[in-house]
Amino acid sequence: MKKIVFFLYMMFIMLPVVSYAQQRTITGTVKDAGGIVVGAVILEKDVPNSGTSTDENGNFKIILKGKSNRLQVSLMGYNPKSVDVTGKQSVDIVLQAAEHALNEVVTVGYGSVKRITNTGSVSSISAKEIRNVPTANVQNALIGKLPGFVSQQRSGQPGKDAADFFIRGVSSLNTADGNKPLIIVDDIEYGYDQLQQININEIEDISILKDASTTAVYGIKGANGVLVVKTRRGASGAPQVNLRLESGMLTPVKTPQFLDSYNTALLVNEALTNDGLAPQFNDEDLTLFQNGTDPYGHPNVNWYDAIFKKYSLQSNSNIDISGGNDLVKYFISGGYLSQNGNLQDFKDPQNQVNTNYFYRRYNFRTNIDMKATKTLSLRLDLTTRFGNINQPRSANAVSEVYDFQKIHPYSAPFLNPNGSYAYAYDTQDKLPTINARLANQGYNRSNRTDFNVLFGATQDLGVITKGLTATARVAYAGIEQYTRQLFRGALPPSYHYNSVNGAYTLDPRGNYVFESYVVTGNVDTYNSNITLQTYLNWDRTFGNHNLNILALYNQQSSSSKADVPSNFRGVTMKFGYNYKEKYLIDINGAYNGTDRFAAANRYGLFPAIALGWRISEEPFFQDAFPGISLLKIRGSYGMVGSDVASGGRYLYTQNYYGGGGYSFGESHTQYSSIYEGSLGNDNVTWEKAKKKDIGLDLNMFKNRLSFTIDYFDDYRYDQLVTRQSVSNVLGIGVSPMNVAITTNKGFDGQLNYRMNVGDFDFTTGLVFQYFRNKVIFQDESMPAFTWLARTGQRIDQPFGYKYIGYYTAEDIAMINSGDKNAPATPITEVPIQAGDLKYEDIDKNGVINEYDQKAIGKPNLPSTTLGLSLGGRYKGFSMNMLIQGSFDYSFSVVGTGIETFQSQFQPIHQQRWTVDNSINASYPRLTSLASTINSPRNYMSDYWLINALYVRLKTLDLGYQLPSKFLNKDITNVRFFMSGYNLFTFTNYDKYQQDPEVASNTNGDSYLNQRSISVGVQLGF
Amino acid sequence: MKNHYYIIFAFLLSGILNISCSNDYESVPLEKITIDFAFDKNDSIGSKASWFLNDIYSKLPEGYNSIDGNLLDAATDDAISIDEGVTTISKLATGAYSSINLISQDMKWADYYAIIRATSIFVNNIDVVPVKDTLTSGLNAKYAWKSEARFLRAYSYFELIKRYGGVPLMGDKVRKLGENVELPRSSFEDCVNYIVSECDAIKDSIWTSPIEDPFINSHRPTVGTVLALKARTLLYAASPLFNGGNIDPTNVLTGYTNTTPDLAYWKKAADAAKELIDLNAYALIDSFQNVFTTQNNKEIIFFRQRGNNHGIEDANGPIGFMNNAHGNGKTNPTQELVDAFPMNNGKAISDPSSGYNPAKPYINRDSRLRKTIIYNGCLWLSATIQTYIGGANNPIITSQSTTTTTTKTSYYMRKFMGNWEKSTQYGNVSHDWVSFRYAEVLLNYAEAENEYAGPTESVYQALKDLRKRSKILAGTDNMYGLNSGLTQDEMREIIRNERRIELAFEEHRYWDIRRWKIAEQVCNKPLHGLRIIKTSGIFSYTTTEVFTPIFTEKMYLYPIIYSEVVKNSNMKQNPGWDINK
Repeated sequence: MKKIVFFLYMMFIMLPVVSYAQQRTITGTVKDAGGIVVGAVILEKDVPNSGTSTDENGNFKIILKGKSNRLQVSLMGYNPKSVDVTGKQSVDIVLQAAEHALNEVVTVGYGSVKRITNTGSVSSISAKEIRNVPTANVQNALIGKLPGFVSQQRSGQPGKDAADFFIRGVSSLNTADGNKPLIIVDDIEYGYDQLQQININEIEDISILKDASTTAVYGIKGANGVLVVKTRRGASGAPQVNLRLESGMLTPVKTPQFLDSYNTALLVNEALTNDGLAPQFNDEDLTLFQNGTDPYGHPNVNWYDAIFKKYSLQSNSNIDISGGNDLVKYFISGGYLSQNGNLQDFKDPQNQVNTNYFYRRYNFRTNIDMKATKTLSLRLDLTTRFGNINQPRSANAVSEVYDFQKIHPYSAPFLNPNGSYAYAYDTQDKLPTINARLANQGYNRSNRTDFNVLFGATQDLGVITKGLTATARVAYAGIEQYTRQLFRGALPPSYHYNSVNGAYTLDPRGNYVFESYVVTGNVDTYNSNITLQTYLNWDRTFGNHNLNILALYNQQSSSSKADVPSNFRGVTMKFGYNYKEKYLIDINGAYNGTDRFAAANRYGLFPAIALGWRISEEPFFQDAFPGISLLKIRGSYGMVGSDVASGGRYLYTQNYYGGGGYSFGESHTQYSSIYEGSLGNDNVTWEKAKKKDIGLDLNMFKNRLSFTIDYFDDYRYDQLVTRQSVSNVLGIGVSPMNVAITTNKGFDGQLNYRMNVGDFDFTTGLVFQYFRNKVIFQDESMPAFTWLARTGQRIDQPFGYKYIGYYTAEDIAMINSGDKNAPATPITEVPIQAGDLKYEDIDKNGVINEYDQKAIGKPNLPSTTLGLSLGGRYKGFSMNMLIQGSFDYSFSVVGTGIETFQSQFQPIHQQRWTVDNSINASYPRLTSLASTINSPRNYMSDYWLINALYVRLKTLDLGYQLPSKFLNKDITNVRFFMSGYNLFTFTNYDKYQQDPEVASNTNGDSYLNQRSISVGVQLGF
Repeated sequence: MKNHYYIIFAFLLSGILNISCSNDYESVPLEKITIDFAFDKNDSIGSKASWFLNDIYSKLPEGYNSIDGNLLDAATDDAISIDEGVTTISKLATGAYSSINLISQDMKWADYYAIIRATSIFVNNIDVVPVKDTLTSGLNAKYAWKSEARFLRAYSYFELIKRYGGVPLMGDKVRKLGENVELPRSSFEDCVNYIVSECDAIKDSIWTSPIEDPFINSHRPTVGTVLALKARTLLYAASPLFNGGNIDPTNVLTGYTNTTPDLAYWKKAADAAKELIDLNAYALIDSFQNVFTTQNNKEIIFFRQRGNNHGIEDANGPIGFMNNAHGNGKTNPTQELVDAFPMNNGKAISDPSSGYNPAKPYINRDSRLRKTIIYNGCLWLSATIQTYIGGANNPIITSQSTTTTTTKTSYYMRKFMGNWEKSTQYGNVSHDWVSFRYAEVLLNYAEAENEYAGPTESVYQALKDLRKRSKILAGTDNMYGLNSGLTQDEMREIIRNERRIELAFEEHRYWDIRRWKIAEQVCNKPLHGLRIIKTSGIFSYTTTEVFTPIFTEKMYLYPIIYSEVVKNSNMKQNPGWDINK
C-alpha cells in the first residue's frame, strides 16, 4: 500500500518534470474536410502508451521517444492514417471520414453507446459547441441545441439567471417540482441548483435521455427525462494547457419605457376625471411639467434611467491542464466568473457598501484516473465551486421602479438641491426615493460552497471471463449557503424641498440621522448527499453477436440541515444485444425506490424494451439506395416513475398538530389545543409514466446530411393530486392520492447538413420539437358548467374571460335603463363605464362572474421550439450562430407591470380607450381604481393574455485562429473570438414591454433578462 | 502485493454494505405527533385529550361581525347594512346566491362537518385515556368531556338542519381516505331524532348546572345547555316550515311530511323547554345589557368564548367619533324593529292607548329599545347622539369626509356593547357570543305551549317575567301591558314580537322568520329608516324606504353547495336550487 501512495505522490511531483524529459516535440493540427478534428488520437508508432489527442482546436503536441518517426492518427469515424514526421517540428494532418463508419458515441445512463447501434431516444451535444456562449449557466446555453429540451429564463439576475428547463415539455400535474428532469453528472445525481454552478469548461458532453429505454435505468426517478453531463478527463500525452479569457458587457434584452411627468400627469387627470374625481393637476402644473422650469417643485425623473446603468460588465476566465501517461491521466481546471449588476453606483458619501447585484463564482476541478495495476484502475474527482450572490436588501429594484404606488416621475427629485435625499412626497408611504433606499438599505449576500468528491475503482475481472469488469464508486456532494445581511436599522433621512419658499421638511418617519448598520445572517442551505454505486459490466463480442450486460446497485442518502435523510436504493439492469450491429435489442430496467412512501409502497420495477433495425445494413437496401449510409428505425416502450410527491415526504402518515389554542374562563387563559391534520394516504406511491417512442436515424450524401426524428407518446398516471371529488361531509382535508392521468405526445428531432467548397466549410442544423399534453383525469369535481372543466385541457391551461369589445355609450345607456338586452356586467361597486372591457356572459345570467371564465390562450411553456444553427469556417475565421424561436404559448402581465396607478405610466397607456379613440384603442379607459373589470389581476382575460411567439438571434460567435506560422513551440494555439447571447429578439406583441420569457401572470418585474456580448482570447500551450 | 488491490476493492464493497445496513435515523419523523399522543394511554390527567377538545371549541362559529362586519340579522327586516352596493349581506337579504355562488360566511357546510368529525374522533378515542379526575357529581371527567363532544356534535347537526334540512348523519364512524363518503341525506325527522336522542343520552353524564368552578369551566356545556339545544331543536322542528308547511310537501329531507300541523311536535318542544325551566338553574338577570358582557351570569346557558376586546364596537359603533371611539356603524336597525318595541306600559305603539307620541318617538319606550338601538338623542360616549341629517353621527357625505358611508336608517346597533354611555372611548369588555340564554328558553316555552295548549297562565307568566326584567310597568292589573283573554293567534303575535325585540341581533330573527314561514311576507317589501331633520332645535321625523329585500320560497332552506351534489351521487339538492332550473 505504501508503495502506491508514494507512487501517487511522486506522480504529482514529477508531472512537470516528465514533460520536459523530452527528446523531440512535434506539434500539429488534425483536420478533416469540415475543419479541425477534436479528440483524434495520435500515437508514436511502436511506442506504447505514447498517445495524446487533439484538443478542442484540433491541435496536438507529442513528444517522440522512439525511433520510428511515424505518427499513427486515429479516430472513430475516420480512416486511420500514418504520417511520416522525419525532420519535422510541426505537421498538419488531414483525416478522411470513413464511409459507413459513423462511430459517433453518445453518453447515456451508466455508459455510452454508438449512435449507429443506439435504440433509445437521446440527444447529445459536445460541450465545446456551447463553451463560447457567454452565459453563466449550462442550461441557458442548451435551448435550441438539443431536441426535446424546453426552457424559459425567468430572470437575468446575476447568479439567479438559470433557466427552468424540461425535457419534452411537462406531463405531471405536480407543476411545482414534478416535471423537473433528473440531472446526472458523472453518474451521480445533482440538483437543479448544483447544475447551474457547473462551469461549462469542465464539461465534455451533455445528453438528454427522453424515452423509457434510456431512462428506465433510473427507474423511479426517470419519468421526467434525464440530463446527463460527462465531465472532461485527461488523455495520455504531454500536458496541454488551455487558457480562455473573456470579458464583456450585459445589457437588458428589453428596456422598459415610462412616460415623463407631463404625460403621466395628463393621464392621471384623465383617469381621475373618469372616476368622477377632481383632477390632481391644474394647467400651471402641467405647464411646469412640460417646460421643466421647476425641477424641484415639479420634478420629472425617469426612475428607470436614474437607477439602472446602460450596461454592466462580466468576465470569465478559465484555465485547464490535461494530460497523462499510461499510469495517470489528469484533467485540472480552474475558472472565475464575475457578473456585475445593473444598478447605478450611487455616488453618495453615505453609501459605504456595495448594494449592487453581483455574482462571483470560482470553479475548481481535478479529475484523475490512475491505473493501480494492470487490472485495477482508480479515479478521483474533486470539484468545488464557491461564490457570492449579492443583491440589494430592499427587494427587487425593477419592481421598485415599476411600482406607481411607491413613486411617480414627479414625486421627488433624485436629490434635493442641498444634496440630501428626497422622499416620495405625494405617495401614501412617503418612502425615501429609490436611490436613497437602494444605497442605504444594505445588501443580502449569500455565500455558497459546493463540494463534490467522487472516488471510484474499476477492477477488470478478465480472469473470470473476458470483458467483465467490476466498479465501485462513492460520491459525496455538499452544499452550504450562508447569507449575510447588512442593513441600516431605519430608512435614511429624507426631506421634501419646497421650491416656493426653499424650506425642507423631514419625512414623516422623522429619521433625521442615518441609523447604524446591523449585520445578521442565517444558514440557508446545509445539504449533503452520499451516493454509493457498484456494478458489474460485461462487454463481449462473440463473432457477430455483441453483448453488453450491466448490473448495478445504487444507493443514495441526502439530508438537508436537521431533517432525517431521505434515502434511495435500487438495482439497475441493462441488457444489450445486437447481431452484426444490425438487429438491435436493449432491455433496461430498474428495481428501486425511496423512503418517501410507506414501507410497503417503496419499491417498483421499471422495465423498458427497445428494438432497432439498421435497414441500411441489409444488402438489398445498400443495393437500392447506395447513397444512404445509415437508415435505422427504432422503437422503445417501457415504464418509468417519479417520486417527486407534491405535499412533502410523509404523505402516508397522519399527523396531529398543535393549534393556536383557545382561551377559557373569565381570565381568558390561553389553553393549548391539538387538531387532526389532513388524512394520511397509506397507499401513496410514485407517479408512473408509460412511454412509447418511435425514431428514425438517417445519414446520407456521404454522411453530410444526418437526420433524426422521434415521435413520442407518454401516458402518465398515478399522479398525486388532492382529490376534489371527496365530499366535505368527510370533515377533514385529504392527502394527495395517486389518481390523476395525463398524456403527452409530440415529436422532436434534428437535421444537420455539412458541406465544403474549397477552404470554405459550412454547417447548418435545424432542431425542432413539439409537444402537446392533455389532462385526462384529475378527479375534478364536476364544475357547474362544462367550460369550467380543467380536465381535458392542457396542463397549466390558463382560464379567464373572453373579451368581446369595449362597453359603448349605448351599452351603458341600456344597462342604466334596465334593458333586457343590455350587456352583462360584473357586480362591483364601481359602475361600468364606456371604454371598460366587455366580456362574454357565457352562462347568460346577465352577470359577469367567475362562471364566465373559460380556457383562454395557451399554457406559458412554449410547445414548439425551433433552433436553426449556421456555422461557417474559412481558413482561420469561423462563425457560428443560433437562431432560436419559441411558439405556441401565452403570457400576461398584471399589477404593477401594467395596471394604471399600480404601474408607472407606459406608452401603452396613451393608446387607451377614449371617446375619440374607441376603435384603435389598445388599453381600456383609464381608472385610478384597482378592482374594476379592467384589472387583469381581478379579471384575467384574453385581452391581457397574449398569444406570443419569439425568434431570437440566441448566440453568435465569431472567431479567428492565428495561423500556426505565427506561433512558436510554446504557444500552440491562439484564437480570438467575439460572442453574443440574446442579441436580437423579434416578438409578435407590443402590449407589454417585456422579455418574451417573463413568468406569466406576474408583475413582470423580475431582473431584466440580459443580452451579453463578450470578446476573448483562447491560448493553448 | 497484488492481492492488496483486491483488498481495496473489497474494502469499498464492504463499506457500501456496511452503510446500507446502518440505521442511524428514525424512519418516520418522531417530532410529528399522532393520535396516540393526543389520546395517551398513560395520561392520567388527560391533558392532551383535553387539548384536542379545546380545539373543537375553537371551531365553533360566532355571530359577532360575522358577515363582513355586520350581524346576520342585517339580512332580515330588523336591520340593513351601512354598506353600499352589492355586498355579502345584501346578497343574503336578496337571495343573490345559488349553489355555486355561496355566501360562505354563513353557509358553513364543511365547517360543521369538520366539527362533527373532530367530535367523533374524540368520542371514539377518549376511552383509552385513564383520566382520574372526577367532577363533584362523582362523574369521571372524561365522561363529561365525552358528553361535551357529543353535545358539540349534536349542536353542529342542529346548525346544519336549520340551514339545509336533513343532512347526512355520520354516526360515530370516523372515515378514512378512500372510504365511501357518498352518503345520502338523512331525513329531517331522523336528524331531529338523532339530535334529541343524543341530548337525552348525554344529559345525565355531563356537567351539572350551574357549572362547577366556572372560573375555568364556564365555556363548557352543562345539562342545561343540552336541554336548551333539545328544546330549540324541537321548537324548530315543530315550526310551520317543517311541521305542516314543508316547502316540498312529500320530501322527507325538507321537513315532516304531514300537511297539517301536528300538535304533538309542539308538545315535545314545550315539554323540553319546561324541563329546562324546571331545573331552576337559570334566571333572568336584572340588567339586560350586561347579559352579553359579563361572564357566568345566571342567564347564560352556553356561549362561544371570545376575548376581551372592542371588536363589536369598532364594527358596529356609530360613526362620527374619533380614534378609539370610532365605529364603522355596520348594522343599521330598521324602523320596523324600532316600532316593534312597545311603550314602557307594555302596549304596542300602534295601540291608541299606549301614549306613543310620534314627535317624541323614544320617550317612555320599553327599556330594551335603548339597550338594543342607538337612536337620535340618546347618550353614547358622553355625547348626545346626532343622527339627524347633518348631525355628528349622520354627516352629509362629501369627498372631504373621513367616512364614505353613514347610517341608512338613522339608527345604530347598541346591543352587545359595553356600557360606554358615559365613557369617552371604547375599552375592552368581554364579548362572548351567547348561543343559548334563559330568555330564549322562556320564549321557546311560551311559543310551544301557546301552539299546543293555547295562551295558558304559564305562557302569560313567561312573557311577564321577560317584561318585568325589561322594566315594563306592571300596571294595576299586574299584566305588564298584556291583555288577558288573548286568543291563541293574538298570543302568537305577542310572543313573536316579544321574541323579536328580546332576542334582536342574536341570530334568532333570521331563522325565526324562516321557520314561521313569514319571510316571504316580511322580507319582500321595503324596509324603512328615519329621516330626521333638525330645524331650530326641533326634530321632525319622516320614515323613508331604505332597502327592499327579496325572499322567495326556495330561500327557506339554503342551497347545498353544488360541488357537494356532484361529488356525491346520493346527495339531493334542496328544492329550487338545482342549477339547471
